Amino acid sequence: MMRRILMLLTIALGGLLQQLLPSWPLCGGIKPPVVAAIALHYALRSDKKEMWLAILFAAVLQDGLDLGSFGPALLAFPAVGLLAYRIRNEIFADGLVTQLALGALLGFFTTLVTLLVYSASGQRDVPLLTGFLRLLSSIGLGMATLPLVSRTITRIEASLPQRKAYGWQ
Amino acid sequence: MAFRNKKLVYAIAAVALLLLVFVPLPTLTLKGKGAVRGAMAPAERSTSSLWKRLSEASAAIRGMGGALEKNRELSHDIVRLQAELNRLSDAEDDNTHLRRAFGFYNEQRFSMIPADVVSRNISGWWNTVRIGKGSKAGIEEGHAVISPDGLVGKTTEVSPLTTEVLLLSDPACRVSAKIKRVDAFGLVRGMGTNLRGEPKARIAFVNKDIEIRVNDEVVTSGLGAFPKGVHIGYVNKVYRDDSGLFQYAEIVPRATVGLLDYVFVLSSIRQEEKE
Repeated sequence: MMRRILMLLTIALGGLLQQLLPSWPLCGGIKPPVVAAIALHYALRSDKKEMWLAILFAAVLQDGLDLGSFGPALLAFPAVGLLAYRIRNEIFADGLVTQLALGALLGFFTTLVTLLVYSASGQRDVPLLTGFLRLLSSIGLGMATLPLVSRTITRIEASLPQRKAYGWQ
Repeated sequence: MAFRNKKLVYAIAAVALLLLVFVPLPTLTLKGKGAVRGAMAPAERSTSSLWKRLSEASAAIRGMGGALEKNRELSHDIVRLQAELNRLSDAEDDNTHLRRAFGFYNEQRFSMIPADVVSRNISGWWNTVRIGKGSKAGIEEGHAVISPDGLVGKTTEVSPLTTEVLLLSDPACRVSAKIKRVDAFGLVRGMGTNLRGEPKARIAFVNKDIEIRVNDEVVTSGLGAFPKGVHIGYVNKVYRDDSGLFQYAEIVPRATVGLLDYVFVLSSIRQEEKE
């Protein structure tokens, strides 16, 4: 129970941090996917219930704090989370290369889904060049964010007393 | 059997999700978002206030002398503005008397609700900021938001404790405006930010026979829910299309807001409150 509360608090803190971070115009204005990275970190290391809890909480938080209808994160996060959950026994979740690849996938997929949802629902008109720039930038931002977030959470958890093993290990 | 059930659950969840995304119910969406934002509001306020204190502390460390000088300048400004306000108050009284005499009763008046900016947009897809006051403070959707530098944007998605402010630079923000020098009407629309992060906007649908000059001041026209004459920015570049009916000009919005700023929401005073 304590672990779950801690997990939800970490995601909420990630949301606050993501809001505080400035958007970089050279990246098309998008921000580093901190919330998505935290959700993915837990999806790779938790049992199924916790994975869903982390993914859905992160998605509702991200969409709830953003403008427009609920949707982009609610569609993208479960898809990435499910994929990560399925392949986690075949990959080394703490490896830098794995995290870089997963980060790139996370950034690209969440941006692509957001782009598609906004375009299809007519909520936002995104020029082709801006859309392309955002997709490319999201790969880099995802690659930079996931390893950083993952390592920070692992270190914080290791420093906490009575750290229990993950449910699925 | 269990496998089929699982597939059915996934299919139902997917359909429900797609319905939620593409057929959103505005009231339900707003309630959901209000709940999330309401839950996060205290944390956002604390973070914003902590950030503010840290910035103030670092500014104080950088130079106490500068702060004192700034304080003195601001005190002078207050005195000057107070005198100006008194003069304008007299002018307004005269104006009201004359309007009454001529039978103009339809003038709209506005009250200003001060609010702190508590956070920026989470994804970067929208040019918005969130302020720490909502419907409980009397804010409604579509109200103008101003800062001492001019028009900042307009309110959208109002929850009881927070309000999203769509900045003037956002392509979804449209404001009826006019070029002050020539009294030419047009529509200001956000154009995002340039590579240096500066906000951009454009005034479109301006009669092509009117001469627009660089550095012309653009203000709100007073049409719609916005007050008249609020400064928006200055013309930066003029685009003329001889084959078209209209011309447009690029403007630089002057009022940009940061995380530590405070803004004012202009709320129209109802007739019964006026009397």
